[in-house]
Amino acid sequence: MTDDRQSVNSLLPVVYQELRRLAANYLRRERPGQTLQPTALVHEAYLRLMKDKPNRWQNRAHFCAIAAHSMRQILIERARARGAQKRGGARQRVTLDERLMAGGEQSIDLLALDEALERLAAMDPDQARLVELRFFGGLTVEETAEAMEISPATVKRHWTIASAWLARELEGNSHA
Amino acid sequence: MNKERWQRVNEIFHTALEHDTRTRDAYLRAATADDSELLHEVQTLLTSHEKATKFLDRPAWAVAPDLALGDEGSLVGKRIGSYRIVEEIGRGGMGVVYEAEDERLRRTVALKALPPEYTSDPVRRERLTREARAAAALSHPAIATVFYLEEIDGELYIISELVRGRTLREELRDGPIPPSQLLPVLISIATALAAAHERGIVHRDLKPENIIHRDDGAIKVLDFGLARPIDGSGSTMLTAAGSVLGTPGYMAPEQWTPGAAIDGRADIFAFGVIAWELATGVHPFGSDLNALLAGNTPSRSRTFPVPGLDRIAVRAMRPNPAERYPTAPALLADLEAYHRLPVVPPPYDSFRWWQIHQISVSVVNAAAPAAVWTIRQWAGKPYGSTLFVASLTLAALSVALRLNLFFASRVHPESLMEHRARQFPAIAVLDALLAGSLLAAAAILAGDHDAIAAIFVAFAAVMLASLSLIEPATTAAAGLTRPTPKKKSTIEA
Repeated sequence: MTDDRQSVNSLLPVVYQELRRLAANYLRRERPGQTLQPTALVHEAYLRLMKDKPNRWQNRAHFCAIAAHSMRQILIERARARGAQKRGGARQRVTLDERLMAGGEQSIDLLALDEALERLAAMDPDQARLVELRFFGGLTVEETAEAMEISPATVKRHWTIASAWLARELEGNSHA
Repeated sequence: MNKERWQRVNEIFHTALEHDTRTRDAYLRAATADDSELLHEVQTLLTSHEKATKFLDRPAWAVAPDLALGDEGSLVGKRIGSYRIVEEIGRGGMGVVYEAEDERLRRTVALKALPPEYTSDPVRRERLTREARAAAALSHPAIATVFYLEEIDGELYIISELVRGRTLREELRDGPIPPSQLLPVLISIATALAAAHERGIVHRDLKPENIIHRDDGAIKVLDFGLARPIDGSGSTMLTAAGSVLGTPGYMAPEQWTPGAAIDGRADIFAFGVIAWELATGVHPFGSDLNALLAGNTPSRSRTFPVPGLDRIAVRAMRPNPAERYPTAPALLADLEAYHRLPVVPPPYDSFRWWQIHQISVSVVNAAAPAAVWTIRQWAGKPYGSTLFVASLTLAALSVALRLNLFFASRVHPESLMEHRARQFPAIAVLDALLAGSLLAAAAILAGDHDAIAAIFVAFAAVMLASLSLIEPATTAAAGLTRPTPKKKSTIEA
């Protein structure tokens, strides 16, 4: 009991800081003056991590994977909840913040992305994990490489084809 | 597509990328042989790769900040049921709060729109309804009243008393709360906790953001009983979100432990953190949640701006709930007893003066046997030596004890009060006897050496005056005397 409590106690702050770091990392790369506040998201992801037995996080890499997975769950759950609120549960496309996107695509269907990612996982679990770490976890190429214990070059290769594949899948979806 | 085929697609795709556009087609046809499906697969991927250069370039929470923040968009200007939304007045984990006009009753209310995580799951929704009902039954001047839980077009809204004023968080931005105002504020919060706990309602998310200092000075605690975990029922991990809820930094250690029973003592913990923060202007654990979770209670500090209040805050913040105040009324009683005491904050460096006093007296005491040594032959053989040995012994013991206190004051200032209380009677007796030995020397010298005897009398007088007048003054100024010694020891026990 005491041992269990001890390990919870020593791990939790590390986890929370790690989540904040993920978000802060992203913010640092952002231009100043933008309004995104990842704190709420981070906090919620953290609560979700709490559900898991904390002593299951063996190391930083393992933690990053769970954090990214939590982010994914939160966003997808919210997107789904929002979709369910609309009449007949029609799926709603999430509009990209236009300040953030200089031209290019206008929107992305997070629910479709989530489903496509499941299909990718069936073909190549590593690539799906990689996308989860990078897109939902916000890790850089180098951080992803570290978390997956592969080289940055391999991360880039996997990312190139996985993102192309997902983009194609979503494109097909959006025409429907 | 199976794994092997996807591997093949990967290889061809990456090799094709190394070719330039002129040789790529030829390569693709050769590599895919007559498998037209494979060729199509790779070609469409290459097209997609060229088109979607920025696809998934940003983290998900930046792509969908509204989802990430649970921001459902502003309701300002809209009409929801009979409520007309006037303006946004705040947002937090539990949704966005608006000032709204209740057109039926023609009054201004606070309307909180709950985010979907709280409302999409029927079980959570049911629990929230129950909690709001309990909260609505709370009627207390220091608690913002919950009027209704409204369900309008499938969405849940909590309608409550609109409180205008500044949150304690806003007040903290201007620095600590002045000591004269602090106690009434803390007593109001404790009163609110006592009233709510009495009805079995635990706040769970008490923090400076949730407490409003109204312009007329009244304190209102918001969101009582509404901060419930959104866990429970769900069969999947998706719906069984967050088994803990609260704000790190104000959460009691047991709130961090999934499944742990939470009672009013979690609020008492948060109260301790808030009391400390309001008094000093800084959070007792700073940004170091490790300290909080490791159960490191902040140590009491002699420079605490509201002397003695740190004792109450520290007890409220004990990591083990059983060591905190058992109930809010117990906390309240201690606060009120404390409030009745005259609060005279010690001057900032009075503690230093106390230390200087200890050192000075030690030097003077050490000088006493030296003085006796110089006159020992005048006093005659047996008297001189006896007096010298006596004064040397007394001085050595007294100096040792005083230096011990001095070093204790540097190493363990938090326990100095008790330490001093134990040692001082002995020190007082030793010093008085030392002064007495000087007076005895003066009595022996009187007649033959009147001038020197007078010096010895003056020496002894200074020592006695220091002991009976200066020492109590510096000690009291340093905050080392206890106003109600009995009470203190029972509480610390």
